[in-house]
Amino acid sequence: MASATPPAPGRSRRLSDRGLAVAFISPALLLLLAMSVFPLLWALYLSFTDYSATRGGPAHFIGFGNYTAILTSAQVHQRALTTLIYVVGAVGLQTVLGFAIAYLISRRTHGRGLLTTLFLVPMMLSPVVVGLFWRFMLDAQFGVINSMLGSLGLGQVEWLTRQRTALISLIVVDTWQWTPFIMLIALAGLTAVPKYLYEAASIDRASEWFRFRTITLPLVWPLLLIAVLFRAIEAFRLFDLVYILTNGGPGVSTETLSFHVYKVAFLGFNTGTASAYGILMVLVVIVLTQLYLRYLNKLKEG
Amino acid sequence: MSAPGRKVRLATAAMLLVATTVTACGDGKDDDGKASAPKAPATIPELTKDPLTLSFVWFDWPPAQALEAFANAEYKKERPNATIKVNTVPNANWHDAMFTQFAARKTDFDIAILDSQHIGEAVTNGNILDLTDFVKNNIDVAAYNPYLLAAYGQFPQAETGKRDENASLYGLPLLGDTWTMIYRKDLIGDKPPQTWDEMISVAETCQADNPGVSGLAFHQANGSDAAAVTYNTVNGVYGGNLWDPKNRKIEGVLNDAAGQEAMDVLVNKMKPLTAKGSGNWFIDEVNAAVAQGKACIAFNWIAASGGLLDPKQSTLGTTREQILDKLGFATLPSQKTNLVPLGGMGMHVSAYSATANQAEALNFMKWFERADIQKKWAAAGGVPSRTDALESPEFLNAGPFNQVYTDSVPRMRDMWNVPEYARLVDIENTNVNAALNGAKKPKDALDDIAKEQQGVLDSSSRKGGGGL
Repeated sequence: MASATPPAPGRSRRLSDRGLAVAFISPALLLLLAMSVFPLLWALYLSFTDYSATRGGPAHFIGFGNYTAILTSAQVHQRALTTLIYVVGAVGLQTVLGFAIAYLISRRTHGRGLLTTLFLVPMMLSPVVVGLFWRFMLDAQFGVINSMLGSLGLGQVEWLTRQRTALISLIVVDTWQWTPFIMLIALAGLTAVPKYLYEAASIDRASEWFRFRTITLPLVWPLLLIAVLFRAIEAFRLFDLVYILTNGGPGVSTETLSFHVYKVAFLGFNTGTASAYGILMVLVVIVLTQLYLRYLNKLKEG
Repeated sequence: MSAPGRKVRLATAAMLLVATTVTACGDGKDDDGKASAPKAPATIPELTKDPLTLSFVWFDWPPAQALEAFANAEYKKERPNATIKVNTVPNANWHDAMFTQFAARKTDFDIAILDSQHIGEAVTNGNILDLTDFVKNNIDVAAYNPYLLAAYGQFPQAETGKRDENASLYGLPLLGDTWTMIYRKDLIGDKPPQTWDEMISVAETCQADNPGVSGLAFHQANGSDAAAVTYNTVNGVYGGNLWDPKNRKIEGVLNDAAGQEAMDVLVNKMKPLTAKGSGNWFIDEVNAAVAQGKACIAFNWIAASGGLLDPKQSTLGTTREQILDKLGFATLPSQKTNLVPLGGMGMHVSAYSATANQAEALNFMKWFERADIQKKWAAAGGVPSRTDALESPEFLNAGPFNQVYTDSVPRMRDMWNVPEYARLVDIENTNVNAALNGAKKPKDALDDIAKEQQGVLDSSSRKGGGGL
């Protein structure tokens, strides 16, 4: 009869577990350091220099010169305002529409799955593809939208080449693509509302509006706000749709902050300035997100 | 001895990371960050006998496909082991696609097809080879129009625009180009307008007489150099100047009386004759308008006009002859001057290409610039730069617009060939586009261009905060 092997001493066993954990985590950690942390720190360092990626040469330390230039630039202020209008317009519209669609779908008992799937299709497409086909559809001369307007006896609209309509077009296209995202999250919230609350309200003969205002909305609101947060961050760094649909035009009237950073980084290869610009954008998102999350926490506690 | 705490270890790791980052930033160049282009050998080194792919980078348009087909058919006769690959990117990404690779000091192309204005940026950054000695030993420079040779290869460019024999050459011509006026013979008659004012008047009448057809079609888009070239063309014919290269002055030169008149003509006289919503049109959209019979007079680059004669793409006729009965091609009308825009590009050898590929690239360029090959290139749809090829029957009979190019060569004017080109053209393009689309008053747009461009030139040596 073979004797049982005694278990390894506790100390070496703990080391072995630890080694295993390190072995599992290290590749991911190294990848994260190499692909995220290192570039971020490098960008942070470059943001204090006059470095240019194409001109080469050593980077000269210039302190907060790049940050001062960006924060005092009228061009940056103009792009910030454009971005703000876009973010508020697009996310606001998506929230209202997304919630409305989710509310209507949640009330259906038949075909809910099919409807949800159909509504999700735009979200599955690449923004570049979306941009390209909307560019064709919105073309003033050859586009299907103006063709439809013409058949209704309405005049042609210069969707992408007029200052106001260009920004509205961007908002509409973004809304078309991302309303399903809000809808999906709102739908999850709506289906999670306990039915007994509605049953109790029915017994009390509460009106539809009363039930919506006092049961549905308060319970779905925190989830909706998280969806708004995700969408706002995404919209803040809008680039692809602008690039395809308007190229920032007419003039620079639809040039967002992200598009402007791209120009600074790749047209003049002012890498130091572009790095500072990027760091500032990240900081803005972090600060606003923190404030927003605090509000969410308060809401949760309340 | 106790092990260091978690916070200490984290701080040490962070410090190490920052130290690594800072160390990685220097690349051993001189303190000014200036680099000069490395020299190509004066004679072609021994070529490999192994299979080799010679890669180009260009933007996606018909001449790119024509070059790949032509080179693989003809160059392979001499170098069967060599395959030519022309990589293409959308026009708007062309500059970025080349210069981001240059920035990485590693390119997946051996020959960059640079726009004439890109040369300065590539030379000062040391991205392309200095071909001066190679050209002296291998190319007959007297065979070229000196302006074309200078435009596609020389840096810095002489104030006269013509080639300076003592200046360095960094490229050789690949494809010449300029604008042609495309006019509807069936709508405005066989004789093209001779002056710019007459052209506007004819377009106005044509538009009024033909509902649904716009008087004019030209480039107005926000991307690339679309709207900028349009303004530069009008500026040229109305006697304006883009800048004073000797003193590097733009403000007060571009927006002088002639410049203002050109902007006024473009926005207030020409724009109303274009199709509604054409404010984002570039090469393809102008061609589409002509092919669909929607424009009386249009302007486009000659190298991009070949498709207009393709019955499959046109509603003007079912054969090339029927289309040519309706379409005429002429040199641009003159006004106070007879200047036309210089287009086209040269071939430039990447400094980061492998040695064997650089040798093959030099061999290809020497082969391509031969008189007989230039004529074959002309017959294949290319636009040559050698004078003998430009005047050859092979070229003049290859397309109805080729005579236009030959006649236009002595009238050409280029933009500013400086390392700051990409930013200068973006400023001009966005402002002209804004003026054409009603987002800015014409005078404000021109003053803004002059002020912002002057700022770029003045601050190009200043450290920090640049590029906004």
